[in-house]
Amino acid sequence: MSEKNERQLRIVGFLCNWCSYGGADTAGVCRFKQPPLLRIIRIPCTGRMDPLFVVKALAQGADGVLVSGCHPKDCHYAVGNFYARRRLELVKRFLPFVGLDPRRFHYTWVSASEGQRWQEVVTEFSAVIQELGPNPGIGADTPMETAGQAASAFA
Amino acid sequence: MDTLHAHLEALFDDLELVIGWETGYEPLRPTPAFLRSREDLSRLVWNPLCAPNLSVYLPGILKDAKETGKKIGVCLKGCDSRSLGALVQEGFVERERLYVVGLPCPGTVDPEALAEARKSSAPVTHVSFRDGLLAITSRDGTEEIELERVLARRCRRCRHPNPLHADVILGDPVPPRRTEPSFSDVDAVEAMSLEERRAYWEEELSRCLRCYACRNACPLCVCRDRCLAESRTPKWTTQRDGVRDKFLFHMIHALHLAGRCTECGECERVCPVGIPVALFKEKMARIALELWDYQAGTDPAATPPLQTFDPSETGI
Amino acid sequence: MRIGVFVCQCGTNIAGTVDTRAVAQRALDYPDVVFATDYMYTCSEPGQQEIQNAIAEHRLQGVVVAACSPRMHEPTFRRAVEKAGLNRYMFEMANIREHVSWIGQDRAANTLKAMELVRMAVEKLRRNEPLFASEVPINKRVLVIGGGVAGIQAALDCADAGLDVVLVEREQSIGGKMAKLDKTFPTIDCSSCILGPKMVDVAQKENITLHAYSEVESVSGYIGNFTVKIRKKATYVDWDACTGCGLCMEKCPSKKTVDRFNEALGVTTAIQIPFPQAIPKKARIQKDACRYFTTGKCKVCQKICPTGAVHYDMEDREVVEEVGAIIVATGYDLFDPAPYGEYGAGRYPDVITGIQFERILSASGPFGGHVKRPSDGKEPKDIVFVACVGSRDKSVDRPYCSGICCMYIAKQAILARDHLPGVNCYVFYMDIRSPGKNYDEFVRRAIEEYGVQYIRGRVGKIYPNGDRMVVQGADTLLGAQVEVEADLVVLATGVESSRGAKELAEKLRISYDQYGFYMESHPKLRPVETNTAGVYLAGACQGPKDIPASVAQGSAAAAKVLALFARDTIATDPQVAGVLESACIGCGKCLSVCPFGAIQWKTLRDGSRKADVLETVCQGCGLCNATCPPKAIQLRHFTDDQILAELDALCA
Repeated sequence: MSEKNERQLRIVGFLCNWCSYGGADTAGVCRFKQPPLLRIIRIPCTGRMDPLFVVKALAQGADGVLVSGCHPKDCHYAVGNFYARRRLELVKRFLPFVGLDPRRFHYTWVSASEGQRWQEVVTEFSAVIQELGPNPGIGADTPMETAGQAASAFA
Repeated sequence: MDTLHAHLEALFDDLELVIGWETGYEPLRPTPAFLRSREDLSRLVWNPLCAPNLSVYLPGILKDAKETGKKIGVCLKGCDSRSLGALVQEGFVERERLYVVGLPCPGTVDPEALAEARKSSAPVTHVSFRDGLLAITSRDGTEEIELERVLARRCRRCRHPNPLHADVILGDPVPPRRTEPSFSDVDAVEAMSLEERRAYWEEELSRCLRCYACRNACPLCVCRDRCLAESRTPKWTTQRDGVRDKFLFHMIHALHLAGRCTECGECERVCPVGIPVALFKEKMARIALELWDYQAGTDPAATPPLQTFDPSETGI
Repeated sequence: MRIGVFVCQCGTNIAGTVDTRAVAQRALDYPDVVFATDYMYTCSEPGQQEIQNAIAEHRLQGVVVAACSPRMHEPTFRRAVEKAGLNRYMFEMANIREHVSWIGQDRAANTLKAMELVRMAVEKLRRNEPLFASEVPINKRVLVIGGGVAGIQAALDCADAGLDVVLVEREQSIGGKMAKLDKTFPTIDCSSCILGPKMVDVAQKENITLHAYSEVESVSGYIGNFTVKIRKKATYVDWDACTGCGLCMEKCPSKKTVDRFNEALGVTTAIQIPFPQAIPKKARIQKDACRYFTTGKCKVCQKICPTGAVHYDMEDREVVEEVGAIIVATGYDLFDPAPYGEYGAGRYPDVITGIQFERILSASGPFGGHVKRPSDGKEPKDIVFVACVGSRDKSVDRPYCSGICCMYIAKQAILARDHLPGVNCYVFYMDIRSPGKNYDEFVRRAIEEYGVQYIRGRVGKIYPNGDRMVVQGADTLLGAQVEVEADLVVLATGVESSRGAKELAEKLRISYDQYGFYMESHPKLRPVETNTAGVYLAGACQGPKDIPASVAQGSAAAAKVLALFARDTIATDPQVAGVLESACIGCGKCLSVCPFGAIQWKTLRDGSRKADVLETVCQGCGLCNATCPPKAIQLRHFTDDQILAELDALCA
């Protein structure tokens, strides 16, 4: 494990239940190795994805945010990801304006069968985040008070 | 001015209420006026100090107004009329219940700039405006100040001095200062490095009092007292007095205005601590323009871009 | 809340690279966790028993299992906690196998990640609430919209299973496009001989209510309980009295009425039964052709009718049907070749469409089945068929393949040769698309046995030369311009969505593509479902289709309805959106984005309007939740607070 004073980097993943969460499962079943940065939050559809989640996560110091859903035209709910991609692209373009690094936010589309692709997505994005290092967030006057840090004490 | 009074005078029997501006506690600060009787019409004023965007009142007033068959008259500047357009688009305002008096606007005054430009600091007793000159009268006499020198930031980038969606336009059309969307102040922020921008906003937002004046003045902040920034369930922000929560509040405001903001600049005008909060929304407006060639409030029949989608869209 | 955490070793699947004991130990530090343990196989019978025992012993109110993917075992564990008396939604899973142990070898990093995933699950669970499915009774009647072959098949299958069926047909008779066809490919069996008995069946089934010459006016309600208003258009003949004797048609003096059933190749009377096999076989007055309606004088049919069925004062009538499911089988229309001015359809009488030629071939058609050309009634010696007229052509906004034209051209060429053995048939085509059972063999027969000449290339121009037509085109295989003289040119017009398809889709709240074809719920796995629960698709309304595919979909849609109706109630998934009325600002954004029409207005006593979720219709996507500015609408089990709790567990 990393040195005590070097904070463990974390990527928050928002994955739709039907495609990308399944794709991440498929990658696991196939034993496709991935860096251990990602923590996945399961949502029903990327249409559920409020762009505020992205902003809040990054403001709170998440080192990366990854959103993935069904490929456009394959949404389980037909059109959820059509709405989502507009919102996600908008927030992606907005982040740098307020001093949040847009490279820390990535959105993509991975189907339940694309285990390999999922491995690539996670590996590539993790490398970007490793390169960028810890995210200071916004107004980092709040002490870290999370499982993250508490758990870092382990090992 | 005379035409405004005369026009409303003639129409008054068909109007339930007239919303305009009247002289407030001093002539430098006209405040919104809600006039229900003919005699009160004489209180109306119209000059470059009439800053408030009156469309902000329309959803609430129409909701509470009884259906008398009479219309509600409202005076709108160019930028105000775009807000009306957006409110009509989103179904908050029934256009047919309004009588919209469009007032071509030479630009509004930045009070701080005006205070600096004046030689006298004595209380103002009278204000008039003609040919690009403000005539400010106090006990020290009358001084003339060029409007262009004391123009508000929002008006320097104005493309719509002439009202849209109006029933009548009173006054001669004003040539727009800009013919193309201008985002020079956004560009100035973007010229900073990412790290500088973060520091800039942390510094600016540290002054935020979370007084919510910016939200209350915003005609498109339709949630009013149901604002997410004050909601306990769900709880997006805490009441902690830190930059992060202030930042989150402004992000809520900005994201809720995405693809909806009509760039009236009211949020920034009313900020008591002078944070350039309109820049967030200007950036949003620019993104909406780039991505979807969309300008809120210009076409009452259009659907805001985040309320719809296009399956054939590529590149996003 | 009292929470128990169970960390599964999954043999060595998890324990191999995750210190499960340490994860369980760490969980005891998380808020509300009163019990935590690891176990060899949590999903096994004794593993589940362990959970149930712990629930009883430690009075647990919620359970977290850290194990495999919830897509694998969430239902298993939900049942387990339910057996022990907990609500099934007071349960969360942390996926530490597919997302942790199987994808990394670093034991320390894996263990840390597993701890955090458990922490997220605990924080989410702390904000969970018991949810309960509700049961809604099903009205076991089905509405079929469209009485073409797909709709007929669906209606008959449902009726055979004992359901009450309401069949609505826009035209005067059921039968659809298939009723106009002479023969069908690739078997050359007579269309009306195979369709006719099915049409008669529809008329004779007591549990099928047929509303012909009627249209769906509005649809309200939701799966299990739709209310459908149907407008029965005025026919000016009382169909209860009309016996279909046809005497009125014999005596009607307006004998120059354009015969729409015969694709304007012949004439009929103002009062008409469209074709001999029509179901229902009832007469109707075409108002704009009727002497009485146009001049005020005549009334011959009324005088002659033996049952006194003619009523000139009849008006449209509305009927209301209550049904539990809807099958949409509205079929297609044929492309109008007018945009191809260079082909001259409409200008030259001997340039006709495929469906017109179908009527010419038919024994009940305008020429009694003799192949003659419309201009002078001469038998053609040369016939040219032009493929892809309104198919695979972006310039007329029809980039898609209509799927049926290659086959019907081959069939028509074969039939033409059968009728007139000396006739020469030429086909201008782009590609031959014949991927059905015995389809390619059929096309080969046309070429090899019937000597139909296939020329690969687009037709550029068709123009008259004397009493013949000259077809000018490219032969791309020869690389040469060719000209063929013909007595008759048949344009194989493509398939397009049915007239009025979009309007009907709006009423049904189903989606349609840019060409007006209805969208299935999933292109592979849910081909006859729509995203509106309880509304199913059959036939060409979903996209171009031939008869076998349409019939198969008719039966498939019927099977879906029967599966739905196999139970008396529908259990609604409680993971749906709910509205906090006091926070709703009535902006309607949720209504406009909901893909399922699951949100409607509700007016409170103070006159304010609030969003209201139809729980049986909501599919739980959460789009409304993300859209709602004050977050008054929340997707249960995936609320903002629940997702934020997971996020805050990671970084705050």
